[in-house]
Amino acid sequence: MMTKLLSKEMKLTASPLSYVFIAFAAMTMIPGYPILCGAFFVCLGIFYTYQQARECDDITYTVLLPVRKRDVVTAKFLFTVIIELISFAICVALTVIRMNAMSDAVPYVKNPMMNANVAYLGFVLLVFALYNIFFVGGFFKNAYKIGAPFIIFCIVSFFAISIGEALHHIPGLEYLNGTTGMDKVQIVILALGVVVFIAGTLLSHKISTHRFERIDF
Amino acid sequence: MEKILEVEGISKNYPLFQLKNISFCVQPGEVMGFVGRNGAGKTTTLKAVLNLVHPDNGRVEILGREFLGHEAQVKQQIGYAVGGISYYKRKKVKDIIAITKTFYDNWDDAECAHYMAAFKIDGSKKIMELSEGMKVKFYLTMALSHHAKLLILDEPTSGLDPVSRDEMTVIFRKLAEKGIAILFSTHITSDLEKCADSITYIKAGELVASMKKDDFIRRYEAEMGMRPTLEDIMVYIEREEVEL
Repeated sequence: MMTKLLSKEMKLTASPLSYVFIAFAAMTMIPGYPILCGAFFVCLGIFYTYQQARECDDITYTVLLPVRKRDVVTAKFLFTVIIELISFAICVALTVIRMNAMSDAVPYVKNPMMNANVAYLGFVLLVFALYNIFFVGGFFKNAYKIGAPFIIFCIVSFFAISIGEALHHIPGLEYLNGTTGMDKVQIVILALGVVVFIAGTLLSHKISTHRFERIDF
Repeated sequence: MEKILEVEGISKNYPLFQLKNISFCVQPGEVMGFVGRNGAGKTTTLKAVLNLVHPDNGRVEILGREFLGHEAQVKQQIGYAVGGISYYKRKKVKDIIAITKTFYDNWDDAECAHYMAAFKIDGSKKIMELSEGMKVKFYLTMALSHHAKLLILDEPTSGLDPVSRDEMTVIFRKLAEKGIAILFSTHITSDLEKCADSITYIKAGELVASMKKDDFIRRYEAEMGMRPTLEDIMVYIEREEVEL
C-alpha cells in the first residue's frame, strides 16, 4: 500500500518544482556564497508540492482512498525524505569533488564563506531536519495551513545557516572550514546532523500521525 | 432487508453549531435525498459518516461493518463525490484513473471503459477542462469502476444546468436499479421529486424526518391542508419572518 501511496505522491501530487529544485544541491560548488542556502532551496521546492496538494484537495482525495490515515502521513514524509536524500547524495558527491580534485582551486582556498566539507554536510542534514520538524510537522496540525509553518521554518533555518556560516570565523574554530581532511570535530557535526535528521523526522512523523488522525476535514 | 448504511445517533458539537443525534439508514438500490438548507449540517453529517469529521457520539455501519476500525476495507466498496470540487485540476483524467485504480482490489477496467463511453468522458482532457456535470460523472465513473455498492454524494447537482441535473437524476435511478444505494445531499428539491425513494431532512443540525418520500409528503399533506411538493414542504419547515 505504501508503494502505491508513494507513487501517487510522485505522479499526482508532486509539483515539478520539487524535482527541479533538487538541482539547488549543486550550489555546493559555488565559492563565496552561503552554500547552505542550497539546502533551503531544496526545501522550498518540496514546499511547492504541499502548496499544490492543498490547491488540488489532495488530502481529501487521498483519505477517501481505501487506505489508513496514518499511511497518508507516512507517504508524504517518505516523499519529502526521498527528495532530501537525493539532494544530500548530490551534496556528498560534490563535496568529495571539492575536497579532493578541486581542493587547490584558488576560489575555494580563499573562500571567506562556508566550505563544502564534512561539517557542511552535517548542517545540510540539520536544515532538512528543521524542515521536517517545523514545516511538515506544522502542516499536519490541520493539513491545510502552509504559510505559518513555512515562515517558522524560514526563521529557524536562517539561524541554523547563520550559525554554520559564523562558527568558522570564531578564533580557534577555523578548522571547521578546513577541506584538507577528515577533521574529528567536523565528523562529530556530521554525526549530529545524521542523528538530528533521523530523530527529528521520526518524532515529527509520530506527532503528525497523531494530529492527522484527529483532524476534522 | 439488509441495510447498506446505518447511521445511529451522530452528534457533533462546534462552538456555533451542533449536529444532534442524527440517525437514518439506506437500503440497497435506494436513492436517499439528504435535504436541508445551506448550513443545516448536511456536509458535516456526510463527512461524519466517512470519518472525515469525528463525531462526538454515534456510530456508522456500512455493509454490516463498523466504519471505524474497518475504514480501509469499507472504503473499497463505497464511492464519494462532491459537487463543485476539482481534484488535481491540472492532471489528465486518464492519469488520475491510472493511479486511483491501483488502490482498489475490485477495479474493473471494462466497467471503467463502459462508463467513460456512456458518460462521454474524454480521458485525455484535464480536470479543469471538464464541465461541472462532467466532473461529477467522472467521480461516479471512478466509484462505479470499483463496483461501489454505496455512493455518498455531497451536492452533486449544485452548479449544474437544468438539463445536466435532469440527466444526473436519470443516472441515479438507473444505478439504483442495479442495486447501488445512493445518499445525496441537496437543497434542490426538484431533483428529489424525480429520483429519490426516501428523504432525510435536517434543520439546524437536528433530524426532522427520515422516511419514504411518499410518507414524508403525506405527513405534511395533513398539516398543510394541500398536496405539497417537496419545495412547498421545505418552505413550510424553514420559513422565518424577515425583519428589516
